[in-house]
Amino acid sequence: MSKYLEKFSRMRTIIADNGGLINSIKTIYRTDELKSGRLVGEDGFGNKYYENKSYFMGRSRWVDYSLAVNLDYDASQVPPEWHRWLHYIADEPPTEAQLVKRKWMINHSENPTGTDKIYVPYSTVKPKVQAWSPPSK
Amino acid sequence: MATLKLFCARKTVDSVLKHVIRPTTAIQSRSTWKDVGEQPKKMDWASLADRSANTAFAVELLKGMGITLAMMFKEPATINYPFEKGPLSPRFRGEHALRRYPSGEERCIACKLCEAICPAQAITIEAETRADGSRRTTRYDIDMTKCIYCGFCQEACPVDAIVEGPNFEYATETREELLYNKEKLLNNGDKWEIEIAANLQADYLYR
Amino acid sequence: MAALGRLFGKVGPSASVILQRTSFRNVSPIYQASRNGSKWYPDKEHFEMWTQPVMYPCEESSYRQPPAHNENAIVTEKHIQNMVLNFGPQHPAAHGVLRLVLTLDGETVVRADPHIGLLHRATEKLIEYKTYQQALPYFDRLDYVSMMCNEQCYSLAVEKLLNIEIPLRAKYIRTLFGEITRLLNHIMSVGTHALDVGAMTPFFWLFEEREKMMEFYERVSGARMHAAYVRPGGVYQDLPLGLMDDIYEFITKFGQRIDETDAVLTENRIWKARTIDIGVISAEDALNYGFSGVMLRGSGIKWDLRKTQPYDAYHLVDFDVPIGTNGDCYDRYLIRMEEMRQSLRIIHQCLNDMPEGEIKVDDNKIVPPKRAEMKESMEALIHHFKLYTEGYHVPPGSTYTAVEAPKGEFGVYLVSDGTNKPYRCKIKAPGFAHLAGLEKLSTKHMLADVVAIIGTLDIVFGEVDR
Repeated sequence: MSKYLEKFSRMRTIIADNGGLINSIKTIYRTDELKSGRLVGEDGFGNKYYENKSYFMGRSRWVDYSLAVNLDYDASQVPPEWHRWLHYIADEPPTEAQLVKRKWMINHSENPTGTDKIYVPYSTVKPKVQAWSPPSK
Repeated sequence: MATLKLFCARKTVDSVLKHVIRPTTAIQSRSTWKDVGEQPKKMDWASLADRSANTAFAVELLKGMGITLAMMFKEPATINYPFEKGPLSPRFRGEHALRRYPSGEERCIACKLCEAICPAQAITIEAETRADGSRRTTRYDIDMTKCIYCGFCQEACPVDAIVEGPNFEYATETREELLYNKEKLLNNGDKWEIEIAANLQADYLYR
Repeated sequence: MAALGRLFGKVGPSASVILQRTSFRNVSPIYQASRNGSKWYPDKEHFEMWTQPVMYPCEESSYRQPPAHNENAIVTEKHIQNMVLNFGPQHPAAHGVLRLVLTLDGETVVRADPHIGLLHRATEKLIEYKTYQQALPYFDRLDYVSMMCNEQCYSLAVEKLLNIEIPLRAKYIRTLFGEITRLLNHIMSVGTHALDVGAMTPFFWLFEEREKMMEFYERVSGARMHAAYVRPGGVYQDLPLGLMDDIYEFITKFGQRIDETDAVLTENRIWKARTIDIGVISAEDALNYGFSGVMLRGSGIKWDLRKTQPYDAYHLVDFDVPIGTNGDCYDRYLIRMEEMRQSLRIIHQCLNDMPEGEIKVDDNKIVPPKRAEMKESMEALIHHFKLYTEGYHVPPGSTYTAVEAPKGEFGVYLVSDGTNKPYRCKIKAPGFAHLAGLEKLSTKHMLADVVAIIGTLDIVFGEVDR
């Protein structure tokens, strides 16, 4: 019996951590799941990263995509420094790890496919054959 | 039939060898075969009764269903993908990227080793001497639709310029978006360098 | 039913008249029952009629006249043929792209004609135009559920031609991953076999484990499936730290997963009804059809290349090879389950006995030097360049090297003419021979059993079509 009471109390804490019942329902609507964990950090895009080691590996770290994107969240919105942590490649989050940022590095952008910012292939070399334009009279 | 006899003969020879030679030598017998096939059923009363009872009360079905029921209370193994992601290792071979030196100078020297080793012939390189006299590529195209992600290009690269980065979330809606050129690859490198450098660092012992 | 009919009779003649008029009276049991007519059954006199030759014109038949010849009558010839059914290539139980043309007599299979080639990629021909290293990734893609075993076979073939001996650690790593691959394959095989037969649950339990093993693949090579990890001359990289601990952790728990599947399937009466005495092949036929692996052992033939001609570290580990008796689907299933347990044993021994040392041969003419060395030493750099452009030259000769892949004997016949590319590379895929025996296995079985037989054959079209 105490086991079930414990489960119930855990549910209450999870709901409380998610900011009340209304917010919890909103979170379930967005993410299909309600979890609570330690806020590890936030990236420049407003995505929040959480960790709760009581879940098994694979579920113990997760990202809460920025509210700005609403339901248009995409897996490619995670920037590389957090990608490394989120995929369990490294244990230390970028807030603790010393990742060298050089000035020529560019900011992360999500997968542009389907938008007007798509990459269109083009040739990076000068054409070998110059088109001949007929002399005009 | 002759083959069958041959194998039967083997069996008898085997058993003879096992009983004659084994006690005299300390070598462990490696010809261990285990018969797991369905054995003929015992027909004595006790086992008959057992079997009938098992059939009548659907024992094995209920046992199986019990296990299935127990599985329902187990924590599910699925992960909620775009929010939670599966584990990767520093060696992961994903989307290609062209790297730069810390100074910002591009690494690739157009040695064309990657082009030579690529089993799918997905890489096309053209090179020219730049104005400052250094040799650089003018064209570095990877046809990502041809690429088989074997990782030979990053193995071959003597300056660690071309790498297969950790990104795999670059699915596109059209095919042409996957025909990467040099700009796109360098862009990838600039975007992912933070992670690529860290991953290479993490795996340097083994390389 | 008869009572019901009588009730209808009492309701009034109108009701029965309506019933008789209705179009369903031939099918309605109510009408049958209310007919009150007696059915004729062959009686004693009838049988007496057949005790003597019947073609003898008797009194009754003497008056019969053959019908008058009518020139204008159109005699239609009735053409009766068995139903021909296309099974696949889109059928989920066809395991990929098998197109099976089945000739059915009712629901019984008269003829099963597998049409292959839908996944043909000309691998063998392509390999002739690739250097020995470039040819390696093609082997991942042959039998794409047992990737490293294929690589292992190719690497062994090239090593035999080069006449080199790889370090012991590399042998152990290969054996370790060979057995992980066997688990991967048997999980797929048993899971989808059960799925085809109708037991859906074990499939999901087993695929959870498969995911974990793919993670080991990923950690060691960087790819979850097409690893390109086992190379001629050893393996590509050493095992990362902590991987062996995790594999140990995994195998200690995996036995339980097998037990669960075992408890759900092995004794299950539906599973038994669907597999026992289905697809029986005798030992003689299995040999004559060129079967290998589980298909051969299921018929009771003691043949396992890991025992009969051990390669890599198989002579150093202790394991049993399961043998069947009846050669039916059920025995083959039992063998696969037992092989998984034996694989756990082998993995356990490999983890315990894993020696220290190099993982590649120390010969920069075959294996590229380490990266750190390559960046500092001019000689190493030249070797690196030579290996990644021209590749290594293999002395002329030919070899047939076979390994016990999870599906059976996977062989590579490699002919070298002394250049850097193979002159010929013939791949002997076990699935091809098994699929050729499908007709033998499935004739006179029901249509639904064909699915179970395809499941037990464990065919993968990457290797059948090549």
